[in-house]
Amino acid sequence: MSEAQRLTGSTWDVEHLLSDALRPIEPPERLSGRLEDTLSAVTQAAAEELSDWAEELSESELRALRDPRNWVRPVFAVGAGGAAAGALLLLEARRRGRQQAKGGLRSLAGRVRL
Amino acid sequence: MSNEKNVEPASLDPEAKAELDRAFEDLYRAHLRDVYSYAYYRVGNPHDAEDLTEQAFLQAYRHFDRARRESDGRPLRPWLIRIAHNLASNYYRDRSRRPQTSLENADPIEARHGTEAIAEGREQLRQVMANLDHLPDDRRDALIMRFALGMDNREIARALGRTDGATKVLIHRAIKQLQEEMGDE
Repeated sequence: MSEAQRLTGSTWDVEHLLSDALRPIEPPERLSGRLEDTLSAVTQAAAEELSDWAEELSESELRALRDPRNWVRPVFAVGAGGAAAGALLLLEARRRGRQQAKGGLRSLAGRVRL
Repeated sequence: MSNEKNVEPASLDPEAKAELDRAFEDLYRAHLRDVYSYAYYRVGNPHDAEDLTEQAFLQAYRHFDRARRESDGRPLRPWLIRIAHNLASNYYRDRSRRPQTSLENADPIEARHGTEAIAEGREQLRQVMANLDHLPDDRRDALIMRFALGMDNREIARALGRTDGATKVLIHRAIKQLQEEMGDE
């Protein structure tokens, strides 16, 4: 493209320049190999981890995990934990409520003095 | 960030995983150049561009199953570029760097020009790249997507998480700003 074509009046034909400047760039060949190796390693590691985890559990442990009677204790523990957390939140809310009430009264007193 | 459960590819049954891996390989082959080009123009050097491309595809692989389900058949290129875009933003945040835009590998002007025209052309391209580097990040990124990757407004909008209208305005303003800055030189 000539200088005249790049300029329309006083305006640069920036779109043409950008098309020339920002050409797609071919990735280096080594990148494909590197990426494929990394992805293979990631999938392999994930599969091995799952398989190791399954192998570590004995047959009796797997049976125990499948038995719904053994689910009661964890469910109870979660329920108890939730109740305790709720109680703590309630106590905290009450404490803050009392503080706010004090603050409110104090500021009201201040305004009265003024 | 969505709360929806993400299915790690390794947790799928073998047949589903094989199908997913094939689809990912297709995506990877189709868009490796796009991701690398975007990364290159963002970070400005081949070494970091390779790292960024690798990270982008690794992250894409982890979320590929969900992205495919949620895409409703729409092309996944904007999603992929969005991943690269977010990684590039973190790259600058972590290392407090700015891109070092370079024409070294772009080879923008080929044998169709004579030697003098090449020198003149290279100077103009150097100017446009230098001005591009000084644009606000969102404007520069939109222009890279438009011109280096050939993405249309809708694709760019999806990649940047904006509306189509806002993207059109963004690109228009970016080109206008570049024109003004080139005119001043």
